[in-house]
Amino acid sequence: MQNMELASYIEEAINGEVDVESLVERVEREVKEIQEGYECFITLANDIRQQVKNLEKTRKGKLFGVFVSVKDNICTKGLRTTAGSKILENYVPPFDATCVEKVKKEGGIIVGKTAMDEFGFGTFCVNTPFSIPKNPFDKSRSCGGSSGGAGCISRVANFPHVAIAESTGGSISCPACFCGVVGLTPTYGRVSRWGLIDYANSLDKIGCMGSCVKDVALLLEVIAGYDERDSTSLKTPVENYLHALKEVDEDSKIVERMRVGVPKEYFAEGVDEKISSKVWDAIKILESEGIPYEEISLPTTHYALPAYYIIAMAEASTNLAKYCGMRYGLHLRLEGNYDEYFSKVRAQGFGEEAKRRILLGTFARMAGYREAYYLKACKVRRKLVNEFKQAFSKFDALLAPTMPILPPKFEEIEKLTPAQAYAMDILTVAPNLAGVPMVSVPCGLVNGLPVGLHILGDHLQEKKILQLAYFFERVRKEKV
Amino acid sequence: MSVKIGLEIHVQLNTKTKLFCRCPTKETEAPNEHTCPVCLGFPGSKPMLNKKAVEYAIMVARALNCKVNRTFIFSRKNYFYPDLPKNFQITQYEFPLAVDGFVDVNGKRIRIKRVHLEEDPGRLIHVGGDITTANYVLVDYNRSGIPLVEIVTEPDFESGKEAREFLQELSTMLEYIGVFDKEREGSMRVDANVSVEGGERVEIKNISGFADVEKALNYEILRQRMILKGGGKVGRETRHFDEKTKVTHVLRRKEFEEDYGYIPEPDLVVYSLDEAELKEIFARLPELPSQRVRRIVSRYSIPENLARVIVYKEKALADFFEECCKYFEDYVEIAKWVATDLLKCLNWHGISVKETKITPQGFVEMLKMIKNGEITARLGKEIIKQYVSTGKHPRKILEEMGIERIEESKLREICEEVLRENEKAANDYKNGRKEALQFLIGIVLKKTKGSADPKSAAKVLREMLES
Amino acid sequence: MEEKIEYWKIDESLLSHVTKVARLALSEEEIEKFTKELNEVLESFKKIDEANVDELQPMVHAVEVKNAWREDEEEKFQWEPFANTEHKEERYFKGPRIV
Repeated sequence: MQNMELASYIEEAINGEVDVESLVERVEREVKEIQEGYECFITLANDIRQQVKNLEKTRKGKLFGVFVSVKDNICTKGLRTTAGSKILENYVPPFDATCVEKVKKEGGIIVGKTAMDEFGFGTFCVNTPFSIPKNPFDKSRSCGGSSGGAGCISRVANFPHVAIAESTGGSISCPACFCGVVGLTPTYGRVSRWGLIDYANSLDKIGCMGSCVKDVALLLEVIAGYDERDSTSLKTPVENYLHALKEVDEDSKIVERMRVGVPKEYFAEGVDEKISSKVWDAIKILESEGIPYEEISLPTTHYALPAYYIIAMAEASTNLAKYCGMRYGLHLRLEGNYDEYFSKVRAQGFGEEAKRRILLGTFARMAGYREAYYLKACKVRRKLVNEFKQAFSKFDALLAPTMPILPPKFEEIEKLTPAQAYAMDILTVAPNLAGVPMVSVPCGLVNGLPVGLHILGDHLQEKKILQLAYFFERVRKEKV
Repeated sequence: MSVKIGLEIHVQLNTKTKLFCRCPTKETEAPNEHTCPVCLGFPGSKPMLNKKAVEYAIMVARALNCKVNRTFIFSRKNYFYPDLPKNFQITQYEFPLAVDGFVDVNGKRIRIKRVHLEEDPGRLIHVGGDITTANYVLVDYNRSGIPLVEIVTEPDFESGKEAREFLQELSTMLEYIGVFDKEREGSMRVDANVSVEGGERVEIKNISGFADVEKALNYEILRQRMILKGGGKVGRETRHFDEKTKVTHVLRRKEFEEDYGYIPEPDLVVYSLDEAELKEIFARLPELPSQRVRRIVSRYSIPENLARVIVYKEKALADFFEECCKYFEDYVEIAKWVATDLLKCLNWHGISVKETKITPQGFVEMLKMIKNGEITARLGKEIIKQYVSTGKHPRKILEEMGIERIEESKLREICEEVLRENEKAANDYKNGRKEALQFLIGIVLKKTKGSADPKSAAKVLREMLES
Repeated sequence: MEEKIEYWKIDESLLSHVTKVARLALSEEEIEKFTKELNEVLESFKKIDEANVDELQPMVHAVEVKNAWREDEEEKFQWEPFANTEHKEERYFKGPRIV
């Protein structure tokens, strides 16, 4: 079961060769053990058996019988959704997010809500009053963030599983890298954000994590697509990603025709030499398989970090204003006028990082500062997008390391100042800001800890980057 | 001291659904009945723009002679308030729908600075007092998310009266365009900016109703004038108009001014219409009230004051009038009756002509009966009253009154009877007290149940008395 | 004379003002701590001034969509709006007073 690709399992589940109901007890037990060992969930579903029973009526679906974990900032109807924050500690959504609706419709079974940094504010999944997930490679280390729980469960689940996660500045790529799994961040707008608890609306993207590229591609097929409830949702038809990977099996020349760029700014100082080296190994492997690379320069990368954070915090500070102890979320006794009451509830309900970002974000929008901070950052975004577009007119994909460091120890993280923590995002913020799709695949170990290869593509080129990722994954497997 | 007044008017558009969600906008008794995760700002909800609201707003902008921007976006205006579900309002800041228009009212041109779309917040009830003394608030979010068109004027008004007249013109105009229900409570709310020469600008927030606007402005102008005359200063401040006491007072709440920190709304996109689409929307604009007055005057040759009364009462009345004109050629007569007696009845009942069962044909039938002498004008007034309240056809009403046409001989008979029974009055008349005739006419009318024509009765009585 | 604004730094009194705008009650220690941390963050962001982007238009969405709108048709959402709060009174939401 562990190494079986989802596609084969699904087929057997539908035709009855595998009885999904018989798996339930084992899965529930395993999930409990995983939770005790790694603490990667905030809430476990308590109706798994019922969900599986309901499956019997349909006997079909692209995810039939697959257990799916959902990052806790994505709404699940009737199942507590906290976004990793005390201020939503007891919140139960009255509706399912579109991606959850789609997964259920295709026979997926929601197994639980995975741990995350509060509202997505973090790179190490430590900024939360709930469980802090432990890295499967070394429990004293971080799983990465903010989709830390999703990365963790994707690595350790011994049952058919795939994870719905979310990225604003790198929150899928980072945990995928740190946990040694595959993480796909689609093009902005490819997956509907209806039901996603906002961090930064122009940057948030729902995506997929899993143990192999094929599984991730399968989930993407299910959750992608136009949604009339999300104004930013793209109308471009969803491609058959799994089929695209089969094409690579049949004819690897598809990938061999690809041209790959390597932006030098992603290997600059600040990136651990050993990581750079491992990633260069991967690039060379691809070269030896017939995929040539060319070193390029993307100078605007240098400004991506401040631009990203200013925009993200500005939007976040407005998104978090709704949490004020009235219609849902944490409330206190109604005392004082509304300024006093709101201020008190918010001070109690938000963690430190959330407060910092609300304050900086509010500051960045204030009269007198708005032009110099927020509007400037939006201009940098345009320059960055133009730069990527230019690069993608020449290259099918760009390759880089996913993260500049190995998964750090929790005690090291505690010593970081906020500015130092933000700097860890230097490799992921640029593509996230530009809304381009990206996939992180494991490319080796350093000191027993995983390193990720980041494959970036042009807008709506999920098919291409998945094909390249799949090819690389296959080549690596063969070499081992 | 010269006065400058500018208005910010918020008008609720009567689309079927709210601006960003499919909740109905129609009125309901049950609080929070017409809500959903979007208009209640629940986590994970997202707005989706109502195209009809955009079309309505463009029609309004066009009627106000504005330049409509083909491309526009929405913005977040960030502030905290219990009636605001997201603690920001989706409105338009940079790149609004329309700018630079004007309206002519009683010969004066009022310039319109901008017209834009935004969402209405919920409705607050202060429990245990008023806004300054309540213990807590109750909120009904049925109103939250209803589309508002905000119309901002330049400070071109010089008196409360001018402001009121403008609002009346605007209100009728909007009703004619068909995007506004003026009977609905709170469908038009006004903020006013007032400055008197020598003082700074004072903002008065949230005034409902034209009469109140005029009162609030008059009070405020007086208040400011008195301060300045007394050597004091009028500084920039925000005041609230108290409907009950009809005065303005300061809402002193915070030491800081809200910083709206606008950003373009990142859950919405760029909206762009091409020339053809805009033209099509403009073409939907119906005849505006001022245009209709001119046309009615010219087409039916009726006095302008009558035309104005008919047109500005409500569109339905003007429609009724014109429909009547299809069945009867004495347009002036129709106009008179519609603008006086019919209007009086409608006002007394507090209803629109649409809500009665009267028809143009029925109404005209009655006018014809008066014209050919079948009934008197006086009886006609009586019949109108019943027609409006019951909807029964005038002929039927006449029948039920049991009134027949009085023949000349029958009239003479009744007059003789009246003179016999009222000797004293008859003698008074003969002795020179001419007013006694009125008394006698009255009795004749009573006996004939109003079906006698007072003029004919007078003629016959006089003849008899003087013979 | 208008005070010239200095960017990429913030002092305790300005931060205090921001906490009011953002309705976030902070203790004195928190204000002190955050002022220090945010100054460091702002300092690290300062280089964005060298990006040479003044001539460009701000970009709100990296992938641009136009005219996402819908027809004016009703749909009643079936739900219990009060399920997530205790602050309610007879089908009204309850909130703190204004003044």
